Amino acid sequence: MSNEQFDYDVLVIGSGPAGQKSAIQAAKAGQRVGIVERDSLFGGACVHRGTIPSKTLRENALRVKHMRQNAALADFELGEDTEMHTLINRLDEVLKSHDDYMRKQIDRNNVQRIHGRASFVDNHTVKITKVSGETVDLKVNTVIIAAGSYPRNPDNIPIDHEHLFDSDSILSMLYLPSSLTVLGGGVIASEYASIFQALGVKVTMIDRYPTPLGFLDSDMTDTFVGAFKNMGGTWMGSQKVAKVYWDGISEVVTECEDGTVVRSQKLLCAAGRLANVKELQLENAGLALNERGLISVDDNLCTNVSNIYAAGDVIGPPSLASASMEQGRRAACNALGVEIGSMSQLIPAGIYSIPELSSVGLTEKQARDQHVNVLVGTAQFSEVARGQISGNTEGMLKIVADAEGKKILGVMLVGEGSTEVVHIGHMAMLCDADVDIFVESTFNFPTLAEAYRVAALEILAQRPES
Amino acid sequence: MSGQDQSLGDELKRLINTGGIEVPMLPEIANKALVLAQNPDSDASEMAALIQGDQSLAAHVMRIANSVAFTPLSNLVSLQQAIARLGMATISEIALTAAIGAKMFNTPGYEEYVAGIWKHALATSLWSKEIARHGRSNVEVAFLAGLLHSIGRPAVLQAILDLAKKQNVSLSKGEVQHLENSYCQQVSQAVVHSWKMPTLVIEAISAYTDQNSDLPLGLQAAQITVGSRFATHMLKPENLDKEILLMLPALDTLNLYQDEVETLLGKTEMIKGRLEGLSS
Repeated sequence: MSNEQFDYDVLVIGSGPAGQKSAIQAAKAGQRVGIVERDSLFGGACVHRGTIPSKTLRENALRVKHMRQNAALADFELGEDTEMHTLINRLDEVLKSHDDYMRKQIDRNNVQRIHGRASFVDNHTVKITKVSGETVDLKVNTVIIAAGSYPRNPDNIPIDHEHLFDSDSILSMLYLPSSLTVLGGGVIASEYASIFQALGVKVTMIDRYPTPLGFLDSDMTDTFVGAFKNMGGTWMGSQKVAKVYWDGISEVVTECEDGTVVRSQKLLCAAGRLANVKELQLENAGLALNERGLISVDDNLCTNVSNIYAAGDVIGPPSLASASMEQGRRAACNALGVEIGSMSQLIPAGIYSIPELSSVGLTEKQARDQHVNVLVGTAQFSEVARGQISGNTEGMLKIVADAEGKKILGVMLVGEGSTEVVHIGHMAMLCDADVDIFVESTFNFPTLAEAYRVAALEILAQRPES
Repeated sequence: MSGQDQSLGDELKRLINTGGIEVPMLPEIANKALVLAQNPDSDASEMAALIQGDQSLAAHVMRIANSVAFTPLSNLVSLQQAIARLGMATISEIALTAAIGAKMFNTPGYEEYVAGIWKHALATSLWSKEIARHGRSNVEVAFLAGLLHSIGRPAVLQAILDLAKKQNVSLSKGEVQHLENSYCQQVSQAVVHSWKMPTLVIEAISAYTDQNSDLPLGLQAAQITVGSRFATHMLKPENLDKEILLMLPALDTLNLYQDEVETLLGKTEMIKGRLEGLSS
């Protein structure tokens, strides 16, 4: 089939971070591009239900926390009937500005926006069903699936979006609840649990694993749990939930297998997310989901059908907006034969809990598993002048280096500012710099960057004598 | 428009614009029920005590709680039991709908008409709630906004009838209807402001009643719009058939695809049962 016979050279399904970047990249390569979004709003769950709304709430939670910390300056209590709407008051402005920016970028690059549901007829034909029920078949040369994800709701958790919420509906609560049970110990659970606790909600986190955020080192998660408990939160690890129900009066009851019962006004179930592909009829294109319910791709982000690529949450972890954007761009480049540099595997992870956590490269545990002997340097924010000045003392930075104490294998932080400060370590690693760079460079004073020097000096002190 | 209609309309307009129109008070019991349902520290005994304070309301709540729509196969004998079975939020909804029902308005000659408006509002609130639940949006806002979206109609009707009586003017049904249609939206907004409803409810009703503006319809306003049309289709299908329902522009705002509309319509019997329960 020649290009003229296609309605689009590239059709992108989904307008989240991965979809947008792949569409823009394909358009910049001179392709006729369409981007399909099932929602009337552009930007996907990241913009409208996840990343941006939760971070907007987080900003206000931080303000509340700071005001409480500074009781001498302001005797502050949130009212009992505080509306959630008040707490995410800037959201409309933030979303509008983001939406404007995205739409302009899409339009500027002549990418055609299509509002409807996409489903495969075959690997070169995608049916679009509009809200009105009208359908149209589009002939396309290349398809990039970036349909995102939706919350996984376990069968024994009767989510009703009224008393029991999932991560897509939690911010629809009318009033700030007095208590909240959070089921899960992953990124979303940790973020919402700590944000609501900072707002003064009595939060209980329940998870089957002993610590939350198990992919990080225990000293990082211990600091997070400590800070969460200091705010008044309760962490219940190694607990299996047997039954959850609304008591019909005023509370959600969570019964654990060991007999513990937790009662709260509302409950958030954050049990992971599933690929948003149930309407795509993948089988018509010769595609199938893998055992984890995701779309499998090779190193080029190509599926087992040569003209179909996938990026973002539909292919699984790391499920970070930053990684999804890069995957989307690369999927488009690979599909079109546009040369790109080698994809760095070095993707930083940012967890917008209170306090923040961030990491890049290997954790200490991973490094010890892979390299056996490693050197580790740490710096507590309480040892750094900036940490003391800003009252940001619940935090630490850790550098993991090879056995020689030279090559940086990983950097991890917990504490406010972590998601920004991690990029110093990230850049050093991308440049293949030695640990010495943190000692030999001059940082602004007082800043949290000073923690790099403290941690690096600790590694230098452990270096084997040559 | 007749001269009488015009002059009464001008006076009505003046009263509305100067805040002189008599906005019905939110009955204290309804207000307290709302506050109790929203207060995390309140419990079932407080709600029971509140409802017991009003005998006719207590009887009404017990009748509804024992209706098939709410508690099939059970026989509730006490308010505490009813609250335990139905929950604070549902009991608050029952109390609210009972307290601010059609009887709140004094509209001689129009009682049946006002009862019809109220039944439609109740059906709208139940549909709006289900639509909100489907879209993972706020169900409490949807219920309240749906319930109060047309509160201006009986309120302005009462004002029209009062004014006509005061001015010794006789208006035809058509003239009354015309005046009601002209001013009901402004009065709906005035009522929810006066009742100090949550910000989102006020915004939703303002957006719903201001659909002639160029602004895009907000999510909550779209929920009420669709909820109201679903209610009409359920109560009077001859006035709005399914084909037209499926073509509502607000479905686009809510992103409700045809199969999702069908799924929602599958709840019609449940909504009917609940409506009967609440309006019995």
